[in-house]
Amino acid sequence: MKNFRFAVLAGAIGIVSLTSAAAAEDITIGLATAQTGGLAYADQPSLAGFKMAVDEINAAGGLGGKYKIVLDIKDTRTDTAATVQAAQELVAAGVKVMITPCDADPSIAAGQISQPAQIPTLTFCGTTPTITEAVGDYMFGTYPADNGQAALLADYAAKKGYKNIYVLKSPDSAYTLRLPEYFEEVFKKKGGTILGEGTYTMGQQDFAAEVTKIKALSPQPDAIMTAAYEPDFPAFLQQLRGAGVTAAIIGSDGIDSPTITGLGAIANGIVHTTAGSPVAGSKLAAFYDKFKEKTGAAPETVYVATGYEIPYILDAAVTAAGSVDGPALRDALANLKDVEVLTGKVTYAGTNRMPIRDITIVEIQDGKRAPVVTAMPDPADVPKP
Amino acid sequence: MLPWTGVPPRAWTSALLLIAGVGGLALVVSLAFGNTGVNIATLALMQVAAVLALATFSGNSGIVSFGHSAFMGIGAYVFSVLVMPKGIQASALPNLPMWLQGHELSIAAALLIVLVVGLVVGILSGFPLARLSTGSAAIGTLAFLIIIHVTLIGARDFTRGSQTFYGVPRLTTVYVAFLAAAAFILVARILKETPLGLKLRAARENEVAAAASGVNVRLSRHMGWALSIALSVVVGALYGSFLGAFSPKDFYFDLIFTLISMLIVGGMLTVSGAVAGTVLLAGVVQILRQAETGIDLGPLHIPGIFGLPQLGMGLALLLTIWRRPLGLMGLREIGPDWPRRKLEPMPPEALHTTPAGAPLEVDQVTMRFGGLVALDNISFSVPPRQVTGLIGPNGAGKTTLINIICGQTKPTAGRIVIGGREMAGKAPHCVAMAGLGRTFQNIRLFDRMTALENVTVAAISKGHDAMMARRIALAELTRLGLAHRAEDLAGSFAYGDRRRLEIARALALEPKFLLLDEPAAGMNPAETDALIRVLESIRADHEIGLLVVEHDMRLIMRLSDRMVVLNKGQKIAEGTPQEIRSNPKVIEAYIGTKRARH
Repeated sequence: MKNFRFAVLAGAIGIVSLTSAAAAEDITIGLATAQTGGLAYADQPSLAGFKMAVDEINAAGGLGGKYKIVLDIKDTRTDTAATVQAAQELVAAGVKVMITPCDADPSIAAGQISQPAQIPTLTFCGTTPTITEAVGDYMFGTYPADNGQAALLADYAAKKGYKNIYVLKSPDSAYTLRLPEYFEEVFKKKGGTILGEGTYTMGQQDFAAEVTKIKALSPQPDAIMTAAYEPDFPAFLQQLRGAGVTAAIIGSDGIDSPTITGLGAIANGIVHTTAGSPVAGSKLAAFYDKFKEKTGAAPETVYVATGYEIPYILDAAVTAAGSVDGPALRDALANLKDVEVLTGKVTYAGTNRMPIRDITIVEIQDGKRAPVVTAMPDPADVPKP
Repeated sequence: MLPWTGVPPRAWTSALLLIAGVGGLALVVSLAFGNTGVNIATLALMQVAAVLALATFSGNSGIVSFGHSAFMGIGAYVFSVLVMPKGIQASALPNLPMWLQGHELSIAAALLIVLVVGLVVGILSGFPLARLSTGSAAIGTLAFLIIIHVTLIGARDFTRGSQTFYGVPRLTTVYVAFLAAAAFILVARILKETPLGLKLRAARENEVAAAASGVNVRLSRHMGWALSIALSVVVGALYGSFLGAFSPKDFYFDLIFTLISMLIVGGMLTVSGAVAGTVLLAGVVQILRQAETGIDLGPLHIPGIFGLPQLGMGLALLLTIWRRPLGLMGLREIGPDWPRRKLEPMPPEALHTTPAGAPLEVDQVTMRFGGLVALDNISFSVPPRQVTGLIGPNGAGKTTLINIICGQTKPTAGRIVIGGREMAGKAPHCVAMAGLGRTFQNIRLFDRMTALENVTVAAISKGHDAMMARRIALAELTRLGLAHRAEDLAGSFAYGDRRRLEIARALALEPKFLLLDEPAAGMNPAETDALIRVLESIRADHEIGLLVVEHDMRLIMRLSDRMVVLNKGQKIAEGTPQEIRSNPKVIEAYIGTKRARH
């Protein structure tokens, strides 16, 4: 009983202040993102880049040259209920723009709260193309969508002359399931054949059954396409090559991490998509240098760069709208065209608010990634979400 | 008879206090922090309901369930499909079967259907679960978690698979959440005191003793599980409607981990504990969440650290396990002992006198363990109104024989007949119901239940309603001189009292026969004398047959009308104490093993 009273008391004392005030010409951007938990791998670097861009923009006068950015950052702990709560608090606090985590669940849940409040909302790097349609006209993607990535990869595979492709997918997440399915759709349309399909459970480690199935295929596939990432992808690759299968590997941006290049010779020849590749002399490479100078360490993933780009996309929209009013800002965002960012150009006009933007396909050789092609997927190719 | 007949009035008081406390806190938080506060209150109230749904099974049965979060997921999906607007449904779930399309039900109608679905799912999933032992049942629940998770992902036409399920109307307001929390507090608190709750708790404390007191452990667990799952499915529906968008992973390990943490921190054994733990952890998370963005103290700025809420939860869990293994509330429910209704014991003359009937027959019982013959063709009978003593040196086969009589072991051959019914191989609770009460060599009480509850369990098994059972229990306690300690926990009793409490419990079963397994073990001569007086009075008051297994020759010679002697799996003698005393085979067996004390 004593403890119970104590708990109640602590609760009452502990919650002290929950509001923050902003000056007249300030614009508060609320971030309900996962700084801890399973999504932190993407949301943490995104936030780091985001903050760096905000500092730069504020130093130059603010968004559109006049709106100083104030950040209200809340950790959602990779928990959808906590994201809902954070989003409700941010809306109540009167933020003008909201940023949501790198995943569809929390992004849609948060977007459903900001949509009626007419607050333009952008997901850090949520790639599921249904995010924007599920929420409504205030929800925007920023990162290359799964179906766009898949279309570009299928186009690459067809141009490379691959005829037969084996697809490995996992029903455990929309990304590992739908991206390969989009790929299949486009690849078949381009005349290719899907030789077979395998499924795996995320985190299963043992791919003997899948590898045996692939090894038994006749003819052998020209390539194997998958959206698997760590820790599944390295395990699969090692067991596949160990069994003597030599088919090419086509992967997605999930394997755009240092772990994969660290795999050594067996990673040679892997082709995968990425939001950007820091080729010497490119804007992205310059940014990486700048980031290293500021923080002492080079970015480990491209998420730092894509996070950095978001305030600049907003800057372009605010400049076009001339205000930070919700509907005006939404319209301006939806009509953006060819905004120059680190990794190429971003266009919202004519889309369902998942941007069309440059995607890079890279090939791994000797621990390094070399760009193969950087292009926007052909809108005619991109499958419906 | 209503399920809550005979529930002690203070249970209602305590439930109402908890509801008032939770409601008051929610109100304070809502008023103090406006919209933010309302959100915090809504989430916390739903967590209270979810933890109570879990506690309904895990608290009472002692089996931690890892599966409940997945069952919440079932509720969330079913509810959402039923209430979501037609237009969104068509775009989000294009392949939904016709019969599920476009219902747009009201929240009440949808919840009713969800409740029915929950009961069906609970009953079905209970079949395998109730057949598992306590230890493997927890692992079994883990299997449910995984199976349901995979099924939700696989049922793409209904759930969008691993993709986000969206477009769920947000119907879970703070009022709905409060109503749910209040209803669940009431259900959980009252259930604990109902016959089902008592049986579940008895089985939690000691499964063997519960069965020997006539509790069908399997059936009780099945019912408790089904009810708990139904509650979970309902709260899952509300939780899904609070989230608005979710996927199967929102109902996986993370959620059940949070719920179990709350339950453990507060204390699994009480409803007050479940509520307190939830409120405390929800509070800790909210406070630390404010702190993690950094605190400005004038010139001093403490930079923000993300992850504080998880850290706080982990620490709270660690501290609880270390300092208070039973949780914050331990064994106590909050609330005064009011209103106090004096429980009238049944007058002794109104207590059953079971018609004597036929003797208990042990008929040609043989038990082999592989090549070893533990019992070889043993036959004897235990007549009513008499004391039959069963003696034999260590290793004679007494324990094996007792286990066979009580239904714990099935004999290789032979029959056990109680009240004219063949009982060999029947489950222990069936044997108990057929009229055999028993005590144990190593006393088995329901330690974390009161003396009154210990005895009430047996009376309830006999089919009395809770009020009548409590009055019978009090009468039995009075008879054995324990009435003044009726409300004390059995675990706090001294040795002699524990023996007597066990006998009271066995008698509340209104047995035709009473099996006492070394009742005087560990007693001093004074205690033994007291015990003999008690046993003699039992024989005088009840028309029952006693089967006493004992090493203490003084006691058994004085008490027994007839004696059976076992040695090395064989019956070597049977007769009056005088005959046994002078039987050369018995003397040889005892002198040979130097077990005779007199």
